[in-house]
Amino acid sequence: MPRSRLVAPVLGLALVVAGCATVPPESDPEARAEYFERNDPLEPLNRAVFAVNEAFDHLLFRPAAEAYRIFVPRPVRTGIGNVLDNLLVPKTAANQLLQGRADEAAASAARFIINSTLGVLGIFDVASEMGIEPRFEDFGQTLAVWAGTTNGGPYLVLPILGPSNLRDTFALPIDVAMDPWTWIGQGDQVRALRTGRTVTQAIDTREQFIEAGDALRAQSLDFYAALRSVYQQRRERDIRNEGRPQVRRFFDER
Amino acid sequence: MRLHRRGLVAGLAGVLLLAPTARANTPEAAAAFIESRGTALKEVLDSDTPLAEKRERMAEILREAVDVRGVAQFVLGRHWRTASEAERAEYLRLFEATLIRNLSARFGELRGLRFTVSRSQPRGEEGVLVTTMVEQPGQAPVQLDWLVSFASGRPLIVDLVAEGTSLRITQRSEYSAVIQRGGGRVGALLDAMRQQLSALEQRELAQK
Repeated sequence: MPRSRLVAPVLGLALVVAGCATVPPESDPEARAEYFERNDPLEPLNRAVFAVNEAFDHLLFRPAAEAYRIFVPRPVRTGIGNVLDNLLVPKTAANQLLQGRADEAAASAARFIINSTLGVLGIFDVASEMGIEPRFEDFGQTLAVWAGTTNGGPYLVLPILGPSNLRDTFALPIDVAMDPWTWIGQGDQVRALRTGRTVTQAIDTREQFIEAGDALRAQSLDFYAALRSVYQQRRERDIRNEGRPQVRRFFDER
Repeated sequence: MRLHRRGLVAGLAGVLLLAPTARANTPEAAAAFIESRGTALKEVLDSDTPLAEKRERMAEILREAVDVRGVAQFVLGRHWRTASEAERAEYLRLFEATLIRNLSARFGELRGLRFTVSRSQPRGEEGVLVTTMVEQPGQAPVQLDWLVSFASGRPLIVDLVAEGTSLRITQRSEYSAVIQRGGGRVGALLDAMRQQLSALEQRELAQK
């Protein structure tokens, strides 16, 4: 028995060591610069996880997202998406506060109150009509602001969850703990609601990424490397709050 | 004293030389440039000319508006210097062909696009970033930012930023990955590009 208990960690360690890309020598400064810009010392391991994730996406997530688009009419999807977005606002406000942006946190609080009441539990995005535009923050971004750098450490591909890095992976459980919906209420029904939210969130996110994902895949010579670069650039933009506010969802075709 | 005067003369000469380009080198000029090239491209995309002719007309607009060689060189990065003359020539040919085929393989989807230039801001040495909102019927608008450089004396597009993602940075990281996985050979990239090009040609023929 002790032997089999040993096998898994040893195998895991061997995989990690074998999965490490080597740093180019000092004599090749350009290759070194490229290595650090890529920021992916665990690349072989990441590529293996990525391949598994791709299979899951192909067999499960993309078909689910497509079915969602086909069977659920657009106005209903918009309403569901608005509810999901609204549930993210309290956590956003907390992170804005932690990042020292009190005015933005106040706007988020106002947004949440307006959309939860006038907007009927968040179905209608009344706040945007009133000029309070949606913004989203997570604890990974807060850590980046505290650290004063957009560099999140080595790139990581997490099973199922996909692209991440050391900072964002570390922030993930804290982010979940910071979300008030993790703690409010109890019992089977609440637990079912929580699971429902997670599943719907996953499908909704994938549905919005159908075209962009297909286009990126079709155009790229190396989809893994393309997605890694996109993730790193997007996170940097989100941390600096340089992007325009989240794209609005509309009930009608436009 | 003499040094001082020489400096003054040189400075004046510099100002006189720079004056005409400085005037054309404004955010307004860049915005007008994107507006006119975008309109020209839209005309081609919406036209009913046969596919091959449509592709050729679009290619003409792109060659004139985009710094294809400069972008190609940026994307290949440090491998440009180690590449042989023949590899460079083949790479440039494939790069331009891929750029054009990537669009022509999607002519169907690109019909009926609407775009508006919303903002134009200087980006220091790099040039001017022109923001456009592009709308496809029935889909959410997409923000595309065009980096316009005046380094050559006339406006040229050097980068396209889609919702915060720079195309040339993404492509550079991708191409370097292909070269690295191909054992550091530029030839490995050229093979992959050739394959992609023929796949795009197939796709272009398949669309209606």
